Amino acid sequence: MEPAAMHGSTGFTAPIVPVAPIAPVAPVIAPSLTRDSYNAQTLGRSLNARVKQSRVLMVGAGGIGCELLKNLVLTGFGEVHVVDLDTIDLSNLNRQFLFRQEHIRKSKALVAKEVAEKFNPAVKIVAYHANIKDSEFSIEWFSGFTIVFNALDNLEARRHVNKMCLAADVPLIESGTTGFNGQVQVIKKGVTACYDCTPKETPKTFPVCTIRSTPSQPIHCIVWGKSYLLNEIFGTSEDQSAFDHSADAENAKEIEELKRESEALRKIRQSVGSPDFHQMLFDKVFNTDIVRLRSMEDMWKTRKPPEPLDYKALLEKALDAMAAKDAVLKNDQKVWSLEENLVVLKDSLDRLSKRALATKNAANGSSQDAIITFDKDDDDTLDFVAASANIRSTIFGIDRKSKFDIKQMAGNIIPAIATTNAIVAGLCVLEAFKVLRGEYDKTKEVFLTPFAPARLLASDKCRQPNPDCPVCGVFQARAYVDLSRATLNDLVEDYLKLQLGYGEKEISVSNEVGILYDPDETDNLGKKLSELGIKPDSFLTITDEDDENPYVNVVVAIQEAKEPLEDKPIKGASTEVKIPTKPKKTPAPEANGGHGSRQQSEAIAEVVPAKRPHPEGPDDVAAAKKAKTAASSVGQDDDIVVLDDSAGGGAIIIDDD
Amino acid sequence: MTEIVMSQTPPILHGPSEKERKYDRQLRLWAASGQAALESANILLVNSGAGTVGAETLKNLVLPGIGRFAIYDEAQVEEADLGVNFFLDDSCLGKSRSQSLRDLITELNPDVQGTWYPNEGVKTLESLLADSPVFTAIIYTHPIRLDQLSQLKAYGQQHKTPLVAVHSAGFYSYFQINLPGAFPIVDTHPDETATTDLRLLTPWPELVAFAEGLTKDIGGLDNFEHGHLPYVVILLHYLEQWKAAHDGKYPTTYKEKTEFRKVVQDAARTGNPEGGEENFDEAAAAVLKTLVPPSLPSGLKEVFEYEHSDPVEQRSGFWLIADAVKQFYEKHQCLPLPGKLPDMKAQSKVYIQLQGIYKAKARKDAAEILQMVQAAPGGERVDPAEVDLFCKNAAFVKLINATGGGGSSSSSKISRADRLKSAAALEFANDETAAFTLAPLSLLPIYLALQATAHAVDKPLNADGILAVVAEQAPGAEQNERVVQAAQEVARAAGGELHNVSALTGGMVAQELIKIVTKQYIPIDNTCVYDGIVARCQVLRL
Repeated sequence: MEPAAMHGSTGFTAPIVPVAPIAPVAPVIAPSLTRDSYNAQTLGRSLNARVKQSRVLMVGAGGIGCELLKNLVLTGFGEVHVVDLDTIDLSNLNRQFLFRQEHIRKSKALVAKEVAEKFNPAVKIVAYHANIKDSEFSIEWFSGFTIVFNALDNLEARRHVNKMCLAADVPLIESGTTGFNGQVQVIKKGVTACYDCTPKETPKTFPVCTIRSTPSQPIHCIVWGKSYLLNEIFGTSEDQSAFDHSADAENAKEIEELKRESEALRKIRQSVGSPDFHQMLFDKVFNTDIVRLRSMEDMWKTRKPPEPLDYKALLEKALDAMAAKDAVLKNDQKVWSLEENLVVLKDSLDRLSKRALATKNAANGSSQDAIITFDKDDDDTLDFVAASANIRSTIFGIDRKSKFDIKQMAGNIIPAIATTNAIVAGLCVLEAFKVLRGEYDKTKEVFLTPFAPARLLASDKCRQPNPDCPVCGVFQARAYVDLSRATLNDLVEDYLKLQLGYGEKEISVSNEVGILYDPDETDNLGKKLSELGIKPDSFLTITDEDDENPYVNVVVAIQEAKEPLEDKPIKGASTEVKIPTKPKKTPAPEANGGHGSRQQSEAIAEVVPAKRPHPEGPDDVAAAKKAKTAASSVGQDDDIVVLDDSAGGGAIIIDDD
Repeated sequence: MTEIVMSQTPPILHGPSEKERKYDRQLRLWAASGQAALESANILLVNSGAGTVGAETLKNLVLPGIGRFAIYDEAQVEEADLGVNFFLDDSCLGKSRSQSLRDLITELNPDVQGTWYPNEGVKTLESLLADSPVFTAIIYTHPIRLDQLSQLKAYGQQHKTPLVAVHSAGFYSYFQINLPGAFPIVDTHPDETATTDLRLLTPWPELVAFAEGLTKDIGGLDNFEHGHLPYVVILLHYLEQWKAAHDGKYPTTYKEKTEFRKVVQDAARTGNPEGGEENFDEAAAAVLKTLVPPSLPSGLKEVFEYEHSDPVEQRSGFWLIADAVKQFYEKHQCLPLPGKLPDMKAQSKVYIQLQGIYKAKARKDAAEILQMVQAAPGGERVDPAEVDLFCKNAAFVKLINATGGGGSSSSSKISRADRLKSAAALEFANDETAAFTLAPLSLLPIYLALQATAHAVDKPLNADGILAVVAEQAPGAEQNERVVQAAQEVARAAGGELHNVSALTGGMVAQELIKIVTKQYIPIDNTCVYDGIVARCQVLRL
């Protein structure tokens, strides 16, 4: 960037001319200052007008969302739509400043609107207490916005909005925070890298056998308590999402045994509330099952075998702890002894049993079991998971953890504070100014570098799109379809072969479920698209199977035809399309490498050809890397199983709301 | 039995308190000790100018729950305030801005007490400072009247109160932290991976004996035992062998270390069913990182070399412990052992024994230091927990502002004005060569231009006016092209704040203040300049 372009009034208001048409005398603004004076003065008339005409979407009204909504309202954005499906929780109030005690359990989106709109009557705020993945939020609907802001806390929703914005070709400003770390990224189709241009780590899962038979870390026992034991006794049976079944085949025999164990455990469920319930459960999971495991000698050749526990003996030793029960329960920072864990387990079992029985009675004899699911903020379930995980840890010779730590590990809690959110939300709006002016060459990917001594922020030029990106590296097309009659054959023959020009190429058509059509899979051709589960805003991926000069993958967004179609039930865009061919494989796709060293390689790519002052020099990049290490070590410190929360790697960053 | 007790104890009493739940997400960053420090803090905001950056900073302190605050702001709410300040609405027009801000900001957190000035009883800043309980920190925003600034500075000196100046105008902002003296931090939260200290080159007798016991017949161990030797033990064993073959010297150079690593790698058994040994892989991987002779980290060196000019400061807990650690270091040529053993492949029993050896040594070192502390005058008042924390973090202790306060070393005599001049010379010289070094361009021009308007209370300065002030503060800088551009941009803002830039700046200021109040993490030293046009920050020591 030319230094001249960064300074003076030229940054945002006037053309880049050294003798800018600014008076060296300050404009006289007093005495008749209006609400808009400061904005008009600093943004300049043209940008200020653009801001006022903008219609923007903010997805998420949590930590970043509250700050961002305030900034958008006071910057004067004309119309702001807010979508959030969450409700307000007590633990939000330390940073989500639009919410108060009396708002707990109300919709975040609706309360945010109500509170924020008082502060600028000129701004129109539209709130939706809904899931952004709902069908009402179509590509068409996304197309109606000037800019979309992501202020989300989860990978799935981020990916969805990324995909919708690419399909609708609307610029997206993506942001995230975790603890002191944070990041902002501008995503514009075909111009900058999209959210999925670098692979993201998915939530960690564990092999079934690690959880059920051979735990070696506290987290294994916590997952056991939360996803297995709690669910079998009070919930809806094993939470499969926590388990990785890929190695099941190798351990077929053990898996069989484990299934039998689970069935026996489910029988104990019938005894919830009976006087023997505590002992039955304890004997089963902390004695019988352990004795069986111990008998599998092969398993313990290189591991310390587990030591089964005796309920009666332990109970006797726990008399003192029992007497001090209230003090034990309140002390969530201390690592409880084995005896104290038994006390907590028994007490939480009583509380959960009561709830289960009460729900059952309320259901008036209908045989349906009451269902209690884990919630980190529900102390009954948290106590149960903490105590059972710690008892299991003791059996396997693993360190026990305090309830406070277990809450973080079981609940995937990410630290979150007001200050970081304030900084990140501020950065989002500054990037939005550049987007509004169409200055994508000036947009930045900004990282907070709280542990870098020389700066608190580091910025990097926006990355180029990754040509191999499965989401934006594809050619995007829209098909307008009469879903009442269009068949897969219509799509393949009329639309793909003729309109998109695949001709006689070998192609396959798939959706998120799997392959719908390829040259060997023709059974579906006669079916209507609607029978194949295809709806408006469904995406189909078309892969060119030819070896020579294949087309890039094409993603077709299915749209309901606006006007009745005459003969053919499928119609493409009226303009002629030309699908590019896949780039030849080159040996060094380093700059977009998916191994986490992106910034380093970017630095090389960026710095080498530059022969001019570089405002975001190598230092910034190094600092950003440091931030990344710091961010990932947040996870390591406490053994949290979180999604990769590194601020630097372009990976998902989570603000927990 | 449990059932009976159960019915007497409503579940509502269980678990963490309401307050702990509200602050849960931040307790995970600064723990109960940091929260307690925040809750006893009393913060003064002296607000002026457009007034948004002050309000935003305060909001970010009230949300995490400082104890109380006071706002001193002489302005009346005008229409323009409503467009830039979130904490003012139509009903505030014409009212005292400090009262309105107090009312709306305290709504954010009922646990926080707030007061506003000037009011009927307290009419001036001077009387507020004279009559209030001591403030933990003071934030003031530019432009500020010179007389008020000198009152604040005098107060800061007298009460050892940190002062933070904040200036936001248009796309630019900066904040400057003025600490009353040297500011030590023990709980710096270093990166976990950096804290491993195994003392492999200076093992103590218990550790040596333990390693020897496990490896005296290393060739005769069965595959299971051999594959479960902790890597610490493996390294100690082969280091002894190396020493025997190298005149009693440890591998020290990079070349020697890589040779030694090869020795360790080659010692792994490969004839076993796994075809290798994980513990030996761990040992080889640890060679370069852990074979380091004890040294004195620069942060702690600065602490050891610090010369006190203030006898009161010298008798504080921190400095008594620091003196003891220094004695310890001089005696043993190493720091107290932190005592943490990283996870490694080993039999559980052996690992726990090894862990015990490290913990015992750490306890012994801490006890020795505690004894030294208690032997010093005033040492009996020092909390042993404070000694423990210092010992665990000794390598990462950091002294901020060592030369800015009471220190008597020669560099501290440099006045702030001279420091600015030399910083300007250095920054502009760097910019001259930036074309070759590819270093980022300095943001000092922004600081100079903003700072020039720091007391322009009555009306905004034009660019020429700004450059005239710059010429006084850093002669020659007014000629610099980038300073001229920054001056024009600042003049164009005419004292107006952009809400968004002020919100961001308020986030950064509050973040640093939280570090100072909790004495955790390392605050910046001492000026952070922000350029919203390119979204970039620079920290300068001015």
